[in-house]
Amino acid sequence: MSGRMQHPPIVSAGAWPEPPALPEPIAVVPTAAPPRVPHRFAFDGTAGEYFRIWIVNLALSLVTFGIYSAWAKVRTQRYFYGNTRLDDVPFEYLARPLPILAGRIVAVVLFVGYVLAGQLSLWLQIALALLIALATPWLLVRGAAFRARYTSWRGLRFRFVPDYGQAYVRYLWLGIPLVLTLGLLYPYVKARQKAFLVEQHRYGGQPFGFEATAGQFYPPYLIAWAVMTVWIFVGTGLLTTAVIALHRPGAEPPALLVFGWMALFYGGYFVIWAFLAAALGNLVYNHTTIGPHRFESRLQGGRLLWFYASNTVAVLASAGLLIPWAKIRLARYRAERLAVMAGGSLAAFGVEPGEDVDATAAEIDSLFDIDIGL
Amino acid sequence: MTTHATLQGRYFDGRDGRRHAVDVEVAHGRLRVRGDGIDRDEPLAALTITPRLARTLRTIVFPDGARLQVPDADCLEVWFPHRNRLEALVDRLERYYQAVALAIVVCLGALVAGYLWGIPWLADRIATHLPARVEAALGDQVLALLDRTDLDASALDPGRQAELSDRFATLAAGLPDGAAVRVAFRGAPSIGPNAFALPGGTVVVTDELVELFADDRQLDAVLAHELGHQVGRHALRQALRGSFIAIAAAFFAGDVSSASAVVVAVPTVLLQNRYSRQFEDEADRFAYAHLAAHALSPSWLGAALGQLDADLPDDASLAWMSSHPATAARIAAADAAGADFVARHPELADEEPDVVLAEEDEEAVDGPWCACCDDTDDAGDCADCEADREDCATDGSCVDDSDDTAAGDESDDACARDDAADELDATIDCEADRDACTGAADSETDADADADAAVL
Repeated sequence: MSGRMQHPPIVSAGAWPEPPALPEPIAVVPTAAPPRVPHRFAFDGTAGEYFRIWIVNLALSLVTFGIYSAWAKVRTQRYFYGNTRLDDVPFEYLARPLPILAGRIVAVVLFVGYVLAGQLSLWLQIALALLIALATPWLLVRGAAFRARYTSWRGLRFRFVPDYGQAYVRYLWLGIPLVLTLGLLYPYVKARQKAFLVEQHRYGGQPFGFEATAGQFYPPYLIAWAVMTVWIFVGTGLLTTAVIALHRPGAEPPALLVFGWMALFYGGYFVIWAFLAAALGNLVYNHTTIGPHRFESRLQGGRLLWFYASNTVAVLASAGLLIPWAKIRLARYRAERLAVMAGGSLAAFGVEPGEDVDATAAEIDSLFDIDIGL
Repeated sequence: MTTHATLQGRYFDGRDGRRHAVDVEVAHGRLRVRGDGIDRDEPLAALTITPRLARTLRTIVFPDGARLQVPDADCLEVWFPHRNRLEALVDRLERYYQAVALAIVVCLGALVAGYLWGIPWLADRIATHLPARVEAALGDQVLALLDRTDLDASALDPGRQAELSDRFATLAAGLPDGAAVRVAFRGAPSIGPNAFALPGGTVVVTDELVELFADDRQLDAVLAHELGHQVGRHALRQALRGSFIAIAAAFFAGDVSSASAVVVAVPTVLLQNRYSRQFEDEADRFAYAHLAAHALSPSWLGAALGQLDADLPDDASLAWMSSHPATAARIAAADAAGADFVARHPELADEEPDVVLAEEDEEAVDGPWCACCDDTDDAGDCADCEADREDCATDGSCVDDSDDTAAGDESDDACARDDAADELDATIDCEADRDACTGAADSETDADADADAAVL
């Protein structure tokens, strides 16, 4: 999903100064929360600028048989990060092209091998798929560590503290009860995974905190499941009635039925998915903290749906030439809807220790589409 | 423009998050940063600077990790000449609209060329080098999978099976390079009348297909078509091409939108189907020649398709979306080939399915017929046939088809090789080899990897 490509993985701000300076003046009620100053994210990228970057990147990548794509990636990321501002300070993407190229070569070899294996032997592909599943938590951790390490704000880098044990518990082990409960545990598992991703991030000497409970993940999913179920029942009923009513006896109606049902199913899925994405995005950000600061996210399902639907149509109709436009408007919308509610100075951060992370895992997980989109 | 310029920047020392508003100057090869409690100067050679990128801020990085953000300015190129040469060049390209226009042309051109020639070429190279036993194993796997899911044991009478197997053996006898093919009968209530070529040389025929046809020569025609798939290694090639399309699509999907699954799935299938239609055309053309070589009219393929069509109507308006060419067009092409056949073999006219054909041109009857004529515009004009056949053997002009341009130059070799062969076989080999040389140089026991790639 594109969010990961376009955004700093976690956008944070925080402060750790001395104990959060309690509101000096009108603290009439001693328990009053400190006043929070909203700092909106801003995105300054334009479709025209990014189109030029994108098309030149693509052309150079094609004529160099993909070698240039590592430089292209860095340029793209620098453009999106550099145009995302918080408190008037842009984010910076620090990764270098050569390590990305090395990681990318490994990832492509694995991916091509995986696809070809599928053509040659089903068992080989199943074995490879199992291997990838086993490696997924590790890849996720390494990928997150890479992205955090090479994201910087105010001259300070982010960090993702690797905890492979927890990663295996939350991304693999919890799959067993998930299956045993026929998916009912899904929101719980999702909550545990989001909490893991948020809480392992650090910035400026401060850990991120995650305050949402698993229970809060249930309403969005339950609503989505309920709506989808009703949608499919009602839709199938209407469709069947229509087919029976419209078709003369004797002729077989299956084609229309199948097509109609697919359109119905995917259309409903698309709509519900947009609303769910908005609800979950808000849930996660609105319960993320760092030091005295909080986040505020106000994504709207209807707007997201409009962006995704119109982007899809525009990209298809333009043979891909509107991809830059689609990405820019989505990035702008996401930035506009996100703010840090600062509980103190956004400048008061310290340095975060850390060491370089190689790009292989990050490249593999972006190619195999292992999604950790926050 | 001069080294005396002053820039306003923001300085972060890399130890805390404080922002310092500073003035930046260069004098005597050293960068001077002053203001807001900061006073540093460093030799320019010790500093790095991020490459120019649209309107984004430039960052000057100090050896100790401090970062200085300044707006992009011309003086930076003077202070830091010849840094990041590659990206500086790319940045200039992005700013010239001619370069951007050229990039658009390159991208669209590369996409089209990659699709029309690149992917087929690459996939066919791989198919050529794939060991036969891998293909055979692949075919066994597909058949085992189908046997578990859609196929049952054949309910045909064993005597009937033996009879049909003999017909198949007769047809398969003339295959180039001794391709090892065999036929397997299966019941397929969920699939219906159909036949498909599997890797390893197996052609699966469903009971429903056998029962559908009134005349065994219709079945012969279908088998000839499947043999065309086998000789051309179509299923393996199709599967490989499909894989490459999927890989390419995955690269694009990486950053399209969250609807990427849908955005990519639809074009992927449509693009793959175009390859598939080419293979179907190729197999049809092989069938015309092969039937003719066995003294059967190509019209039998039309008759078979017509009967299938009556059973399963399709829609010509959706032809561009389909994995197979529109049935009506295939029937018409088969009938044209049949008319051509009868023109040359009037004595076999009563073998035609049920069409009465005018007998006009008898000139070429005694000569071996030439497959080169079969599907070009001049169906009746066989005065040139002899000549055409010569062309076959020499300059490869028998490459009658199609949009498959990439195959063009290679077919010369394949056709030339047949030069010495005896006449009748030469033409047939030429036709067969043309199919083979469009992709997989030596067509041995080849087959289809993808169960659905090679269906009738």
